[in-house]
Amino acid sequence: MSGVPETFAVATHGLSMRYGRETALADVDLRVPEGSVYVLIGANGAGKSTAMKVLLNLERPDAGRAEVFGLDTGAHGPEVRAQVGYIPESHEPDYPWMTCGRLLRHVAAHYPAWDHAYAAQLVDVFGVRLDRKIGTLSKGETRRLQFVLALAHRPPLLLLDEPTDGLDPLMRNRTLAQLAEHLADSPTTVMIATHHVAEVESLADHVGVLREGRLVAEMTRDDLRRTVLRYRVEVPEGWQPPPELRIAGLRRSPGGREVQGTLVGEESDVTARFTAAGAAVRDVTPLTLEEAALALLAEEGTP
Amino acid sequence: MLVNLDPKDGRPLYLQIMDEVRRAVVLGTLRAEDPLPSVRELAAELAVNPRTVSQAYQELERESVIYVRRGQGTFVSPTVRRGAVERRSLAAAVAKRALLDARRNGLSAEELVMTIQKLAAREDV
Repeated sequence: MSGVPETFAVATHGLSMRYGRETALADVDLRVPEGSVYVLIGANGAGKSTAMKVLLNLERPDAGRAEVFGLDTGAHGPEVRAQVGYIPESHEPDYPWMTCGRLLRHVAAHYPAWDHAYAAQLVDVFGVRLDRKIGTLSKGETRRLQFVLALAHRPPLLLLDEPTDGLDPLMRNRTLAQLAEHLADSPTTVMIATHHVAEVESLADHVGVLREGRLVAEMTRDDLRRTVLRYRVEVPEGWQPPPELRIAGLRRSPGGREVQGTLVGEESDVTARFTAAGAAVRDVTPLTLEEAALALLAEEGTP
Repeated sequence: MLVNLDPKDGRPLYLQIMDEVRRAVVLGTLRAEDPLPSVRELAAELAVNPRTVSQAYQELERESVIYVRRGQGTFVSPTVRRGAVERRSLAAAVAKRALLDARRNGLSAEELVMTIQKLAAREDV
């Protein structure tokens, strides 16, 4: 883009965390530019939820630190949480005895920025019934209530952990549309942790990939589109890829004269390396976000 | 104007939106001085990042396909004609897709052009 230095809504420095013998985060340096929609991709247990909890100071890292809008999350937990709309992975509500309406009033009182008119509109969009007791809500209904709570104070940062989990397809579409509208109205940085990558494909402009607690890739959607590509290659019979060509999801044609797989790198560079290895690139196709993520999650796909 | 996006298309979404606007202009479903949906409306309708819509609109404005009237919205340029530039850029986009497809199938540009001409001469295609 330009030479203007980016400011980061979220930055972590050497974040590490273990649960017993399990590594949740290993030396993670996240950089989430202000105003971006950053999707954090990873398998179950890859550390996505832990990272978000550290950002809210709900978990303390074993090493490293995190900043939200320049504030150290360990030292300024309450100030940070006041600037964040959070959808937790869990659907377990905190106040099962309260009605939805009562909880909304309760939460509204905590946020000076609470927008009552917008809250009423969100209640309508998400079909939240104010007289219902929270403890009786289904998974999807809880999610919808959580969306109202997260958006109504128009926080500068949204942390959404598996946000569409539990929503039916119709509500999922409505939620994504509402999110797009919200972004048009309020300057917001959004961080979405999900393994349903396809759903957020058209919203995301930055991507981070966590594998077993390590951040193995972090880039803009445009860079991902340019540098993670599927190659179909004509090869001599019995051809074996040299070790410097790291091919994810390698497939061979019957007869073995054509191979296909995903590689990370500049297209011209990858093509030259294939040529040097005695193969001829016939076809290069861009990938969907989900396909690219799968390639980055596969061990052999990363540089 | 109806905008359709295809995540499998592989081109950035802002380019797809630009082509959809050009298509509407060429087809005449969008005419000079017609209003375009606001960034907010189109972003919500397509569930895309509003920045993507803004980027498409900015590029189209630079190409003088559309213009912004302060406080009123975005409109199709009065000078836009269904022929001229928009037809050419739309044709270029369609041709590029066909060329790519041909190359993928091991066909040359000459083979593709010849076949298109042959097919176009037939009445049933």
